[in-house]
Amino acid sequence: MADRDRLTIELWILRYRPAQDEEPHFVSYTVTYTEEMSVLEALQSIKDEQDGSLSFRWSCRMAICGSCGMMIDGTPKLACSTFLRDLAPGPVKIAPLENFPIERDLVVTVADFVKKIESIYPFIMPKETKPVEAGEYLQTPAQMAAYEPFSDCINCMLCYAACPQFGANPDFIGPGAMALLQRYNGDSRDAGSRERLDLIHGEDGVWSCTAVGLCSEACPKLVDPANAVNQNKTNSAFDFFLRGLRKENHS
Amino acid sequence: MSERRPYVRRQSRLWWASRTYRGYTLRELSGVGVAVYGAVLLAGLDSVRRGPDAYAAFVGWLSTPVAIVLHLVLLAAMLLHGLTWFQTLPKTMPRLIVGGQAVPQKTITNAAIGLAMLCSLALVIGALS
Ligand code: SF4
Ligand code: FES
Repeated sequence: MADRDRLTIELWILRYRPAQDEEPHFVSYTVTYTEEMSVLEALQSIKDEQDGSLSFRWSCRMAICGSCGMMIDGTPKLACSTFLRDLAPGPVKIAPLENFPIERDLVVTVADFVKKIESIYPFIMPKETKPVEAGEYLQTPAQMAAYEPFSDCINCMLCYAACPQFGANPDFIGPGAMALLQRYNGDSRDAGSRERLDLIHGEDGVWSCTAVGLCSEACPKLVDPANAVNQNKTNSAFDFFLRGLRKENHS
Repeated sequence: MSERRPYVRRQSRLWWASRTYRGYTLRELSGVGVAVYGAVLLAGLDSVRRGPDAYAAFVGWLSTPVAIVLHLVLLAAMLLHGLTWFQTLPKTMPRLIVGGQAVPQKTITNAAIGLAMLCSLALVIGALS
């Protein structure tokens, strides 16, 4: 390989090992890289060749599993689809996703986020279930277009790292879970909006959001979670004012 | 042996002042400009209620350097607020499907800005004629 193809770059990585570190601190590593090398590959080369104790999450290395989210120079990004050539000359600051507790090095706690996505009934609840023999639940392309981008979410949590309101209130349901909620509420085959709406009133629901909008910019899958949150403010408000009428209808 | 001791980073109180959130903070601050301009208009209306002398004084104040600078600042705030407001607009609506396809958010923003400009133009023309 020609010399000009073997470049080096310095990475400042925020490290935290719960057994020995009081608090996180930056450690500098220098890696040799090529044009096509991603931040994830750089981390793997550090783990292989310099320090085997460095911890980070990854799986697919093709921007589909959502495991490798981290702050790269202050912006939430997928390490596997961020390239060193775009970060040169460095040094590059790499830290765990903002707004989440750090488990170890670049690994953050995901338990609360998982609870949130479990809570919103993440499955289609048809009005009436029909037997398999009765055939599929049909949908037109237009009906699919109404929710389709929201189904592209890979649960990477970059949007949460971009959201200052989630930083201020960790109980805020947040952009990613709302995108998933809208994926089902916007689906013509689903009849579960009522149940889901009951979960998103108040400060821990949609009302922590002040339409900062950076969640949608951070999203690597163009899901537009800000749209999911903000259109549901209208739904939540309507529901608040029309609640009385609804109860009468039901009794 | 593994040990769990999750480390919680405190959010800075000044998060809104950081470069990342500058656009958002300016948008929110420009809302204050809109409110101040509303107050100026109300003061004008009130001067009409108080009679010809008060109204003349208000109009006189409008041409002082302070008032002119204030209005330029408020105009800038107004324009920024209008622009960012219309950029936020498509985020607050359900996805608009026309002919089986989603209308791009840019189109919605541009249509709303166009409509606002038409209304402003009609107002100005109305006031001048
Ligand atoms: S909405 Fe986008 S940024 Fe948020 S979790 Fe889903 S894919 Fe990631
Ligand atoms: S490793 Fe799967 S998204 Fe990056």
